Amino acid sequence: MSWESIIPNVLAGQSQSLAGSSPAAAMDNEQFAAFYARSARSLWAYLARVSRDPGLADDLTQEAYVRFLCAAHPQDGEVAARRYLFKIATNLLRDHWRRPQSSSIEEIPEHTFADSSGETQADSLAMLGPAMAQMRPRDRQLLWLAYAEGYSHHEIAQITGLASASIRLLLFRARRKMARLLRSGGEA
Amino acid sequence: MSPFTCARERELSELIRKGHWPQASPADLRAHVTSCRSCSDLVLVTDTLQASHRHTAELPRLEPAGAIWWRAQLRRRNAAIEKVSRPILGAQLFASTMALVVIAAVAVWQFGNWSVWFADLPGTLHLDALIPSATPENGILWIIMPVLATIALLSGVVVYLASEKQ
Repeated sequence: MSWESIIPNVLAGQSQSLAGSSPAAAMDNEQFAAFYARSARSLWAYLARVSRDPGLADDLTQEAYVRFLCAAHPQDGEVAARRYLFKIATNLLRDHWRRPQSSSIEEIPEHTFADSSGETQADSLAMLGPAMAQMRPRDRQLLWLAYAEGYSHHEIAQITGLASASIRLLLFRARRKMARLLRSGGEA
Repeated sequence: MSPFTCARERELSELIRKGHWPQASPADLRAHVTSCRSCSDLVLVTDTLQASHRHTAELPRLEPAGAIWWRAQLRRRNAAIEKVSRPILGAQLFASTMALVVIAAVAVWQFGNWSVWFADLPGTLHLDALIPSATPENGILWIIMPVLATIALLSGVVVYLASEKQ
């Protein structure tokens, strides 16, 4: 007797025990494709800018979506789903940094983000790479979530796991440092 | 006013978020930003990061959504199988252990009968010709040991094949 005959629903991904909480129950293939199209580039940008490693961002983006689909997640709309996705990505980044590294992410050259089209970038944008390199990973996360993604302090606290009360102070310090670095051309 | 932020920062943030900064902003706020360090930091950092967001989001070559969907389904399926297999593996181990205990108990209990049976085996099967003439008196071990080794080997193979099939 094979497994398929014993537990056909489990193998088909339609287990009753999973149906109530799985994303598959809430999001079908087409819905996921639409959600992916709307959110993947933002997620990749977040991972790439915070990790400063586009290759790692590729890997973690895929892994974040797979975990998103495998795990239970809030069912109250795309905003919550998107926030949950960023939380998964943040945890993946944290796990990555905790693992022993064969090479430091600080060694990744910033020119990987250079515009290949040859268009002239604004001065501040050109300064962003060196400035980001001077920031701590957590500060990069906070700044990106707050000012690139537009998340509130409460949402950032949910995504990063930091205390909501401390976000304001951490963000203020990070922003001040970033502004100073941008004005000085990325020099510490 | 918070010790860390300017009182007009919330207003400024809202204008930036809506895309009204700086053209559709009050003149006094624009004047304030030039003189307020906190607000000018906010404008500089927000403008830079949003420009970077637009630029960076154009860079990735994303994997098709269908491939990620399929991979997630595969992982869920494997997780479900693993979840179901765990107690069955325990039952297998328990059954194997009990079988070995029973075999050992029967072997010990029936050792006398088996000794006689094995002693007669060469004569029954006419194996005398295969036993070297120089074999000592307890040469029956020459028969028992290969038989037991073969049984043990075959048992291992059967258990392995059964596990692989499942």
